[in-house]
Amino acid sequence: MVAVAPAVRRKRAKSTDDGVLTVGRSRAGTIAANTAGILFSVFMLFPVYWVLNTAFKPANEVLSLTPTLLPKDPTFDNFVSAFRAPLFLENMLNGVIVTLLAVAGALVVGFLAALSIARFKFYGRKAIILVVLVVQLIPFISLLIPLFLMLQQAKLTNSLIGVSITYLVLILPYTVWTLRGFISGIPRELDEAALIDGCSRAQVFWRIILPLTGPGLVATSVYGFIQAWNEFIIINTLNSPDKQNLMAWLLQNQTTRGTAWGPLMAGAIITSIPVVIFFLIIQRNIATGLTAGAVKG
Amino acid sequence: MKRKIAAAAAIAATLLGAAACGSNDEDAPTTSASGKVDGTGKTLKVWLMVDAQTAWKNVVDDASKRFTEATGAQVTVEYQQWANHLTKLDATLAGADVPDVVELGNTEFPKYVFSGAFAAINPADYENSGSWLAGLKGACDFEGQTYCVPYYAGARVLIYRTDLFKEAGIAAAPKTYDEFLADADKLQTLKKSDPKFGAVYMPGQYWYAAMSWVKSTGGDIAKQDGDKWVGQLSQPQSIEGLQRWVDMVKKYSKADPTKNENEQAGIFAQGTAGMFYGNAWEQGSAEEVKKDPNDPNSTMVPTKVKGKLAAAPMPDVPSFLGGSNLGVTEKSQNKELAAQWVKAFTDSQSMAGLIKANALPNSTALLDKAATENPTIAPSALAAKSSWFTPNAEKWADVEKGAVLQTMLTDILTGKKSVADGAKWADDQINATLNES
Amino acid sequence: MSVVERPATRHAAPPPARPTAKKRKSDKTPWLLAIPALVLLAGLLGYPLIRMVILSFQNMRLRELFSGRTPPWVGFDNYTRVLSDGVFWAVTGRTVAFTIVSVLISVLLGLAIALLMRRVTRGVRLFMVVAMMFVWALPQLVAAQIFRWMTDSDFGVVNYLLDKIPGVDYANHSWFVNPWQGWAVITTLVVWAGIPFLAITLNAGLTQVPKELLEAATMDGATPWQSLRNIILPILKPLVTIVTTLSVIWNFGLFTQAWVLRDGHPEPSFQTLTTYSYTQAFGQSRYSLGSAIAVITVILMLGVMVFYIRQMFKIGEVE
Repeated sequence: MVAVAPAVRRKRAKSTDDGVLTVGRSRAGTIAANTAGILFSVFMLFPVYWVLNTAFKPANEVLSLTPTLLPKDPTFDNFVSAFRAPLFLENMLNGVIVTLLAVAGALVVGFLAALSIARFKFYGRKAIILVVLVVQLIPFISLLIPLFLMLQQAKLTNSLIGVSITYLVLILPYTVWTLRGFISGIPRELDEAALIDGCSRAQVFWRIILPLTGPGLVATSVYGFIQAWNEFIIINTLNSPDKQNLMAWLLQNQTTRGTAWGPLMAGAIITSIPVVIFFLIIQRNIATGLTAGAVKG
Repeated sequence: MKRKIAAAAAIAATLLGAAACGSNDEDAPTTSASGKVDGTGKTLKVWLMVDAQTAWKNVVDDASKRFTEATGAQVTVEYQQWANHLTKLDATLAGADVPDVVELGNTEFPKYVFSGAFAAINPADYENSGSWLAGLKGACDFEGQTYCVPYYAGARVLIYRTDLFKEAGIAAAPKTYDEFLADADKLQTLKKSDPKFGAVYMPGQYWYAAMSWVKSTGGDIAKQDGDKWVGQLSQPQSIEGLQRWVDMVKKYSKADPTKNENEQAGIFAQGTAGMFYGNAWEQGSAEEVKKDPNDPNSTMVPTKVKGKLAAAPMPDVPSFLGGSNLGVTEKSQNKELAAQWVKAFTDSQSMAGLIKANALPNSTALLDKAATENPTIAPSALAAKSSWFTPNAEKWADVEKGAVLQTMLTDILTGKKSVADGAKWADDQINATLNES
Repeated sequence: MSVVERPATRHAAPPPARPTAKKRKSDKTPWLLAIPALVLLAGLLGYPLIRMVILSFQNMRLRELFSGRTPPWVGFDNYTRVLSDGVFWAVTGRTVAFTIVSVLISVLLGLAIALLMRRVTRGVRLFMVVAMMFVWALPQLVAAQIFRWMTDSDFGVVNYLLDKIPGVDYANHSWFVNPWQGWAVITTLVVWAGIPFLAITLNAGLTQVPKELLEAATMDGATPWQSLRNIILPILKPLVTIVTTLSVIWNFGLFTQAWVLRDGHPEPSFQTLTTYSYTQAFGQSRYSLGSAIAVITVILMLGVMVFYIRQMFKIGEVE
């Protein structure tokens, strides 16, 4: 984990104390701190627990004025229902396609741009960095209107391609910025030595930079995956229900007769699973891009 | 900048290529649904709201089947959710690949008719068009033309707990508003030991209900004065109606003042209220729920109030006539085919199917038939006869979307504003919205 | 793995500019590499941005949207209308106030949790990290829907649990009647969802605080508070600046949480700049007015962005 791993490793290496850093470690203090930590964790986890609890309850227990802390009659019905719901599977597939296209595109395009600003000194480099940083911060929702009009003209609304390209651009600035960090992390001396040894620039790229940024590519692509997978405002506005993703499905899974909370929560869990898994894979790198430099990966 | 305008003009031209320019152009030809159209090899795209899917999919399928037999064209129906269907419609209609037939709520129609989204139709082509419900048809009329076809209606009724009525010694459904209040009192007394019990379940943002009360004292939401709309809520008669509603809600309802009526059947099913004001079909939703809400053939699970409910017209309170219409989009490539489908879907045969599915038909002529054939909807068929409709203003949908009435009601109920102040505020909002150029 | 630049290296002379083989002036390679990204950004971000600005000087309504006709030019009408509207200023004030409060709480709490993580035993720390990971990984929409479900006035568990406390009547309590309470729920959601990023990042920074420094300080008789103020915080400062700025940018653009908790139709007292712009544009079909609000929002955010970009730029430049 971002936080724990280095500390733990250090501990194993040299010290026998608990990796506790702060000064003044009385026993009572530790107990108080542990209690606070556990209370905090319980507070954080409560909503997560409540989704699980709701998702496993049958309908009559979900809509009950006296909610129970555990399902009396645990059931998978809500999950079955979510899978059976109109468009759920189609939207899941759409989500996968759109996300993969966007991430793959962003990686290729972003890697080249990252290489450019990380490895070259040239007039205009600052301008490119500025552009990358600024666009990362523009709220995409505010661009929805013109974006929509534009894709309309290109006949790209209501298509997976249009959304894929939009998502690609959505995750591109972060991709460029993070990969730039990873590439800068490779000592320049390595390329220089290779160049002196007679490697061409392309060879330097294939033999040195690409392999060494491998972990960076994984982390960046997974973060991009999460971003694209979680997006719903754009796809919900641009596409009709059969061309949307699971997030948009979640947003719309309300009928005139009120929200079916059980299947909705089950759907939410299914939708979150890939994100949680990927997140756990890359969690130690995720903050890197956003705070690159202040925290170095 | 010039190039941009030129580009926009070019795009405009391509977009306009297939379509006439909308309702303002003179001699917009009406789309005919009479005669025979050969639609072999064509596929019609129809957008219906989700209700059709949950409650009368068989009627849709039957109409499509008859349509395909007659024309040879295929039909794909996409079911939309109420939550964001207008945003999606706007997005789609801006493009070239549009649905041929679109269902919209009757209060939503005027804005789209005015904006040129729908093609004019010829009412005479459709069955029962002479007796279409005024509340539905009103939304279709614009500058002497008709731009949509009434589809189905719903009128709201009083749904009450027969078992509690009996316990409280109430023999029959109330016949006057005073009786209604007296009955509510009796229920409240009967269950006074239960702090969660409210004699009436009435969520605070249920504006269709509140406005019905406004109408009950002769009040109104807005009136047309020349070419201007004038909000009427702060007029004395409207205030009286609002006050009447607020007094009732404050005294008898334990409902959330920030909720709307969407979940009322499910909440009422918990057994903590004696009466509620809803559509006829909500009685069924309160009595039993689908085991799997996403499975059309799911088994039904009875709720706590199963077999304990009955419906009656809300005494002395005219019902809002809700419902939906169907329009043929102006940009449709297959307008005549689309009109044919609409014709099949709104003919007497389809209407008979709707009546079976507890919806009200689109014509007054069929209302009596509905009342005798289906006792479940008899009260609402009666209620539909004395009903009202929202102001037929182009921008009325914006008032709804802007949550003006909902906000006013919550503010009044929670004491944030007095009835008069709230009504004044709402009038200002309504005036600004409806008269915006 | 160095996490925070230590003050020592930070203030040391910048690394001498290395003579590199890539300094040829006429080299086109970097531009060729950057062009695909730049084209995409220009096409799908730059161009819409320009169009948004143009749109804000027009009057585009549904009619123009459907017909594709060029909307009429109205000059600064949309801006005068927005800027002279009390509602807009109320929304702006609310958005700013929410941003300040929510960021303050998030960052302070995040820092406190990060410090706490250094103090607890290993098992507890692992538990805390796992708990936070789950929260962090939850999609924003899902998190918002969970909170909506938990605070439901009829079936919500929050009312149920609060009602259990003797003497407290929270049965059927509606959390969104009183805007203060409603915003408290929204803020709790935002803080809850934001803490993991803050706490874990700041904790990563804390692990780099040299232990020797702290030990020496303790030996010299420094209280924990003094150590925090004089040693830990100065070292963490660059990191705190960046996470704070990011939180400001994210929270200022609040949309999903308010939108979902108010069931897709936020009342006036729950509108933020983004929901307001979205409602005007897509709800009321005032596309131009919505664009004008969006332009103003972006301009307001620029101030914060400049701050963030300057920080990032410093870093980008060093390397």
